[in-house]
Amino acid sequence: MTHSIYNEGTHFEERRHTHWAAVFIGVLCVLLGIVLFAGGVWLAMLGGSWYYALAGIGLLLTGWFLARGLMSGVYVYLVTWVGTLIWAYWEVGTDWWAQVPRVVAPTVILILVLLLIPVLRHRRR
Amino acid sequence: MKHSPLWTALCASAAMGLALGPVMAQEAGETDGILVQPGETESGTAAESEAPGAGLTASPTEDDTAGDETDEDEPAAEASSEAAEEDAATGAESGDEALAEEETDEAAPAATLDVAPAEAPDDAAETEEDAGEDEAQSAQSFRDQPQEQREVGTDWPFWGGDTNAQRYSPLNQITRENVGELERAFVFNSGDLPEGTADGKYSPETTPLKVGDDLLICGAMNELISIKADTGEENWRYDPGVPNEAIPYGATCRGVSLWTNPAAAEGDTCATRVIEATLDAKLIAVDVETGMPCEGFGENGTVDLWQDIGERVPGWYAVTAPPAIVRGVIVTGAQVKDGQAEEAPSGVIRGFDAETGELAWAWDLGAEEQNRNGPPEGEVYTRGTPNMWTTATADEELGLVYLPMGNSSVDYYGSNRSEAEEEYSTSLVALDATTGEVAWSFQTVYNDVWDYDLGSQVTLVDFPQDGGTVPAVILPSKQGDIYILDRETGESLFDVEEITGLPKGDIEPDYISDVQPSSTYHTLRHDDLTARDMWGFSPIDQLWCRIQFHRANYDGFYTPPSADRHFIQFPGYNGGSDWGSVAVDPERGVIIANYNNIPNHNRLIPREEAEERNLRPIYEQDEEGGSGAEGAGDPQIGAPYGIDVNAGWRSPLTQMPCTKPPYGGIRAIDLETGETLWDEPIGTARRNGPWGIPSFLPLKIGTPNNGGSVVTESGLIFIGAATDNLFRAIDIETGETLWQDVLPAGGQANPITYEVDGRQYVMIMAGGHHFMETGVSDAFIAYALPE
Repeated sequence: MTHSIYNEGTHFEERRHTHWAAVFIGVLCVLLGIVLFAGGVWLAMLGGSWYYALAGIGLLLTGWFLARGLMSGVYVYLVTWVGTLIWAYWEVGTDWWAQVPRVVAPTVILILVLLLIPVLRHRRR
Repeated sequence: MKHSPLWTALCASAAMGLALGPVMAQEAGETDGILVQPGETESGTAAESEAPGAGLTASPTEDDTAGDETDEDEPAAEASSEAAEEDAATGAESGDEALAEEETDEAAPAATLDVAPAEAPDDAAETEEDAGEDEAQSAQSFRDQPQEQREVGTDWPFWGGDTNAQRYSPLNQITRENVGELERAFVFNSGDLPEGTADGKYSPETTPLKVGDDLLICGAMNELISIKADTGEENWRYDPGVPNEAIPYGATCRGVSLWTNPAAAEGDTCATRVIEATLDAKLIAVDVETGMPCEGFGENGTVDLWQDIGERVPGWYAVTAPPAIVRGVIVTGAQVKDGQAEEAPSGVIRGFDAETGELAWAWDLGAEEQNRNGPPEGEVYTRGTPNMWTTATADEELGLVYLPMGNSSVDYYGSNRSEAEEEYSTSLVALDATTGEVAWSFQTVYNDVWDYDLGSQVTLVDFPQDGGTVPAVILPSKQGDIYILDRETGESLFDVEEITGLPKGDIEPDYISDVQPSSTYHTLRHDDLTARDMWGFSPIDQLWCRIQFHRANYDGFYTPPSADRHFIQFPGYNGGSDWGSVAVDPERGVIIANYNNIPNHNRLIPREEAEERNLRPIYEQDEEGGSGAEGAGDPQIGAPYGIDVNAGWRSPLTQMPCTKPPYGGIRAIDLETGETLWDEPIGTARRNGPWGIPSFLPLKIGTPNNGGSVVTESGLIFIGAATDNLFRAIDIETGETLWQDVLPAGGQANPITYEVDGRQYVMIMAGGHHFMETGVSDAFIAYALPE
């Protein structure tokens, strides 16, 4: 993971040395966040659940921080993910098939975000 | 009016994270057992078609060609009336033994089967004369009293197993303990596969009959075939030459029926005959031993069901179900392709003399008295009336036939319907099979605008009550309600609850009923949908479905149609219970019902918009038209709206349903009380996933399913039906799957079980289904324990 950082050259290390992986995941979270937020606001206006709009905000913040190489992205996402679990359990309990769309994809993102921790730590050094 | 479609759909979004789980699939072992080589059969039959007996045994390809030509030139005639065949048939019937034998031999070199007129054809002429004398008398007599019926066990003599349509067999060689050893005994490939314009329209749904040593089957395009029940060797085949243009919604032949003439001597040609009704609406009778058309039946063994129906529009009026035969009367309805126009072919039910093919009576609910013996010269049966596309049940004892009726031709708009239509649509109607008069009727939906046709064949039982039994009929519906009715009166043995205060909507509030019946005995229906039931593969597509849910009209069960917005129909038109029907174990007192649990997402299309979309009725289309899903853009000419149905409410983002699984289940119900004994999802996620990508997950998610089950005395349920293309054996006590096999295509057909020489076989046709997206195949697969 660390090789590429050196490959990028030291010139940029001071200003924009965010690892490409963090940028990539950050941008992905922003894109997903935009979709969830926009759709979520629409849903809420139709009288539906507020979860999606809120989760969209969580993802937008996560993405923003990650893309800037900030560890706060991880913390924000953890909060979003735990919030998602609580909401999902509140909505459908132990109906595992019903949990699938609610929990699987967010957990995959959680794993990706957690994998960024070493990279984000490196930046701080 | 429709017959149900379905598709695959769904699934395992868990597939997202995980590449693939342990795959169960033993891939289809085609090498198992004796495989009847299609090549062999074809070369054999090709040779035969040169022989005089050609009509019986020509190869599928050749016959198709012949059939097409004939039909184009002369729709009423069919391959069988070609001169050569006629000669052959006459020769055989006139009792010329030598000639008959010779023909038979020539006709079946590869098929081996000695079709032989084992008993005395030389007596035939004489017998026929006798029969002729007695004819009037015998025709009378077998209509007045019950005729002796074949029993289920060694044989599977009726589409529904026995006369009661219980789909129950007393066989018990295959048990819960040894079912794991089940292997393929043989595979018979019928050769009936889609050609040309039939591509993508196959849904054979075929269930064989087994009588004596033979299985009697029909191909999706109505080719009649007799094979050896223990080896799959072909005895004979008869091709009625149905052209591709006759395919209504799908090429389907659910099965055939048998009738034995009590007045004929054993061994007479056509003493026992196979009766089939075809996609191009012909009623056909052939000899069970030889496949020769029955001369005395209609014209050369064929009756034209288009008679008095009106303008011949291929594909609009077609028969896919085996006829019921009661006291010597063949009773049949027809599928009328849904949603085309109010001015559609009549839903008339007709009875024909099983011996002569003459019209015995007609039940035209629009003109019962006037058209009882056919409409007056120059007129046709009442257009657009509710029809019966599924299988009726014969009650030989009471002389009744139970007709599960569908809806009027235009399903989703009702204001133009007549009072008679309203009275009988989506009702079970008991007719006196000797006169065609209504004995009683029982309606399951008032003013149906949801296409809730009764799709299941009803099952007859001696229903336990007050220490005794009542002759009853089990009526399952697409809404999932199961009714138990007194067979003699049609009264429900349990309270019929009325759901009141239902919304009437904006489209036709004066027509929509705010009251609907429901059964207090049992319902397969799940609770009304909520936004939480929306599903998907990720939060994003789930969100999309939730938005659609909130945008649609939905007030729960029986939400009336709307045009400004979509409306959600739950359960959708696939059921509940559909044509697969239910099985009953009379010994244990258990009903086995598989069912669908999926909504449709529909919208009425104002006429102007329908015009813009160029939605054309079938009579204005060329042959290519109308291969889409049923209801996905139907014009409903005559009504102010067309209809757009998204069956299964599949998300355009992923092709998966918008609602959560299970999409299908199988349930054991206590017969006496109606209580659920167990309820399990049916179908795994192995073949399903987002964008149609198989997930290979062996998880029991519960898929859409079509096709019923068989129950055996030994406590096993055999069923395919689901979109995972598995055929499985389930423990009737627990619902646990004990054995399964991967089929070459979907098992959307009712299986059977039978015995030959002390060996029990279980057979299913793995034909696949176009709308279920389960492939296509012509394989009839027989399973047995290792010898």
